[in-house]
Amino acid sequence: MSNANFLEFSKPFIEAAKNVFETMVFTKLDPGKPSVKKNNSSKGDVSAVLGLSGVLTKEGAEKKYRAMLVISFPYDTYIKVAGAMLMETYTEFNEEIRDVGGEICNMIMGNAKRDLGGLGYTSDMAIPSIIEGPSHTIKYPEGTTVIIIPMKSAHGEMFLELCYAEGTD
Amino acid sequence: MALKANMKILVIDDMATMRKIIKNMLGQIGFTNITEADDGATGLPMIESAQESGEPYEFIVSDWNMPQMTGLELLKTLRANDTYKALPFLMITAEAEQGNVVIAVKAGVSNFIVKPFSAQVLKEKIDKIFNK
Repeated sequence: MSNANFLEFSKPFIEAAKNVFETMVFTKLDPGKPSVKKNNSSKGDVSAVLGLSGVLTKEGAEKKYRAMLVISFPYDTYIKVAGAMLMETYTEFNEEIRDVGGEICNMIMGNAKRDLGGLGYTSDMAIPSIIEGPSHTIKYPEGTTVIIIPMKSAHGEMFLELCYAEGTD
Repeated sequence: MALKANMKILVIDDMATMRKIIKNMLGQIGFTNITEADDGATGLPMIESAQESGEPYEFIVSDWNMPQMTGLELLKTLRANDTYKALPFLMITAEAEQGNVVIAVKAGVSNFIVKPFSAQVLKEKIDKIFNK
């Protein structure tokens, strides 16, 4: 397995995340320094998770790849982001705002897909899921490298994670 | 043609979040008569019974990806029936690929919007649909 194209793969997600937050959450995202994540413990309390897989065609060769997008929010950020998106005031995490993170992930992935197509990737999106609770565990696809990028916004900090590996079945 | 504030609109999306966002935006634009459905499969009978009751929906705003009946399947079903051939239908999708636009246009969509979008963009699309 390889992650040779990970950097190129990750760029469309950052741009898509900025676009989604600016248009639907009315806030700018300020990405911090990416680092490799070595454990599977979440940085936030609410994580939206969306898998992606497909084939990368580059220099005449085809390779399967597997990836996952995670956006992990502290409760306070999640509640404020949901409030901004839905134009309501929320004071706690509840069922009404549970799918906000999934919808954000969906939009980011959907946007990134167009640019990934230009880089030679076909991509099948899975259905987003939400994991909630302090320091929960995130199950990354086996053999993938995980990078984590802190993102600052007017609603607080959140963490965008991407994991990626080529040559997987 | 000036649009009526009480135009009967059906918003179809499996995600409650997105339904609420679309309803908020339609409200900002000035529309007041908005109903929701959570899938094409639940939206279709609502469209049919509204038609039978003599108070038909005048505008459908539908997501593409839904678990039971997709927006595309709903659109095709409606366009196959003479009653709904001209029913304005705005498709919303998260996937920004050009191929999707072509598929939706072939199926008879009135217009197409890619998430994320602002209320202003939604208004422009609605104006285009109704001022053709």
